[in-house]
Amino acid sequence: MALLEVEDLTVEFYTQEGVVTAADGLSYRIESGETFGVVGESGAGKSVTALSLMRLIESPGRITSGEIRFKGQDILGMTEQEVRSIRGNEIAMVFQDAQTALNPVYSVGEQIAEAMRHHLGYDDREAKERTIQLLDTVNIPEAESRYSDYPHEFSGGMQQRAVIAMALSCDPDLLICDEPTTALDVTIEAQILAEIEELAEEFDTAVQLITHDLGVIAEVCDRVMVMYAGKPVEKAPVEELYYDPKHPYTVGLMSSIPRVGDDRDRLQTIPGTMPDLVELPTGCSFHPRCPFAEEVCTRKQPSLIDADRDGTLDADHVAACLEYTGDLTEGLDYEVVVEGSDEERVVEEDQNV
Amino acid sequence: MRRIYESEALTRDDEEQFTPSQRRSETPLQAMRSVNATALSRRLLPGWLRRRAISVDVSVPCEAFPLGATVPFRVTMANAMPFPVAFRTRSPILWAWEVDGKTEATRVPRDPPNEPGEFRFGRGERKRFEKRWEQLFRVSESEWEPVVPGEYTIGARINVDGAVKKGLYDETTVQILPERE
Ligand SMILES: Nc1ncnc2c1ncn2[C@@H]1O[C@H](COP(=O)(O)OP(=O)(O)OP(=O)(O)O)[C@@H](O)[C@H]1O
Ligand SMILES: [Mg+2]
Repeated sequence: MALLEVEDLTVEFYTQEGVVTAADGLSYRIESGETFGVVGESGAGKSVTALSLMRLIESPGRITSGEIRFKGQDILGMTEQEVRSIRGNEIAMVFQDAQTALNPVYSVGEQIAEAMRHHLGYDDREAKERTIQLLDTVNIPEAESRYSDYPHEFSGGMQQRAVIAMALSCDPDLLICDEPTTALDVTIEAQILAEIEELAEEFDTAVQLITHDLGVIAEVCDRVMVMYAGKPVEKAPVEELYYDPKHPYTVGLMSSIPRVGDDRDRLQTIPGTMPDLVELPTGCSFHPRCPFAEEVCTRKQPSLIDADRDGTLDADHVAACLEYTGDLTEGLDYEVVVEGSDEERVVEEDQNV
Repeated sequence: MRRIYESEALTRDDEEQFTPSQRRSETPLQAMRSVNATALSRRLLPGWLRRRAISVDVSVPCEAFPLGATVPFRVTMANAMPFPVAFRTRSPILWAWEVDGKTEATRVPRDPPNEPGEFRFGRGERKRFEKRWEQLFRVSESEWEPVVPGEYTIGARINVDGAVKKGLYDETTVQILPERE
C-alpha cells in the first residue's frame, strides 16, 4: 500500500466567470519515504492539489469527485476532527512564503515549541530542547541563542528553515513543500533543497515537492508529475523524464531550465500562456501552444497512457498526448541532447515539422 | 451571527422552493435587529422586482461566421436598480451559456453539487463576460465534433428555475457559412 493514493481527484471553484476546474481527474501515489515532484506553470493547479490532501479547499471551491487515501484511510470521508488530527501531525505543509507561516509576535522558537506541545503533548522543557535540536538540524547557526529571536530577526532563508523545522517537529510521514524556495535567491535555494532532501531521508519522511522549476525537481525527486491546466500530462521517474520526455509540454519546460550564465527569461521558450481554466481549450488543453498540434488535438482529449514505444511495459512512465494513441500524422519531432557534463542537459526542438 | 443572514431565513420569495427544514418561521428577533440595511433590502425584495431589476443580454460582433472560425460573444448582465439584488441559484453554478440549448456546447451532463448558490449584483452593477464558441460540440468526455453550416442559437441564463419566463435569459442567433469553393 502506498503512503498516499490520490484517485481521480477533481476540484472545482464556482466563480462568477464560470467553473474553474483546478484539478481534473488527477491520480497519483506517493510511497513512504519517497520524494515526489509536482511541476507546472503558475495556475496549473499544484497548490489546489496539495490543499485538497489536507482538505483545506475553501469556498467557492469544492472537491467534486475522487478519493484520497492516506495510509489506507479515506481522507475525504473523515470528520473534521479526524482530519485535524492528521494535519500538521502526519501530513505537514511548508508554503512558499515563510513570513505568512510565522507569527511576527512570537519568537521563532516559541512557535515551534508550541506546535510540539500541542501535537505531541511535550512539556515546556522537552519542547524547548527538541526545538533547539531541530533548529540546529535545519542548520540555523547558534540555535540555542536564536531560539528567542523574532521572525523579523531571521533572514528569508532562515525563516524558511524555521518553517521546515516546524513542519518536521511532529515527525510527519508526508511533508508537502509548496514552492518552498521561490522567494529565496538561488544559492540559498540550493542549500534548502539539499536540506529538505537530507532531512527527508533522516526522518524517513515522504515529500511532495511543488515547483515550477524542472531543474529543482531534477535535484531532489524520485518521481515527478508534470501538470498543465489542472491535469497531469506526464508522470515518470525523474531520470526518464529528463532523458526521454514524452509530452511536448515537458519538453518545453525542459528547454526553459536556465543554464549557468544564461539569464533569459525561463518561460519564454514556451510561447503563449496557460489558458484560463474557466474556458479550457477543446481537445488537448495544451494544443494552442503546442508546436506539434494537429486538427485532431482540438477535437480529442488525450488520456494518460504508457508512452514507451520500445515495447517494454513500463506503466511508470505515462504521458497524455495523442501521439501515443497513433492519432498524430506528423508525430512529435524533438531531440534530447545530452551535452558535456552530467549536469547539463539541453533540449533542442525542431519546429520545422 | 453572520451565518443567520447567509441562510435563507429572511428571504421572502414565494417562487423559490425551500425544503421545510430551511423555512424557519421563527426568525430570531435578535438577528433581525442587527441585520444591515443592504442585506435586509436584498432579502426582502419581492421576486418580481428582483427579476425586473436584472437584465441579461447576449451579443455577437457579427451575425455570420465562416465554418470553423471562433465565435466570440459577450454576455452582459446589469442591475438597473440603485440597490443590491441577489438570486438564489439552483446550484453553485451561477449562470451558464449554451448553444442550441446545450450548456457550454456540451452533450456531456455536468453534475453540479446539490446545493444552492447565490448570485449577487451590487447597486447598478453591470457584469460583462467575454466567451467563445469554437463551433464544436463536446460529445463525450474526450471528444468534440465540428458543426455543419446553418443557424445556431447562443443563449445565456441565470441558473434559476424558469429563467426564460422570468426574463433572466437572452439569446442571439449566428449563421455558420458553408466553405466557399
Ligand atoms: N479561491 C479560489 N477561487 C477561485 N479560483 C481559484 C481559487 N484558488 C485557486 N483558484 C484557481 O485554481 C487554479 C489553480 O490554482 P493553484 O493555486 O493550484 O495554481 P498553482 O499551480 O499552485 O500556481 P502557482 O505556481 O502560481 O502557485 C487557478 O486557475 C486559480 O485561479
Ligand atoms: Mg501554488
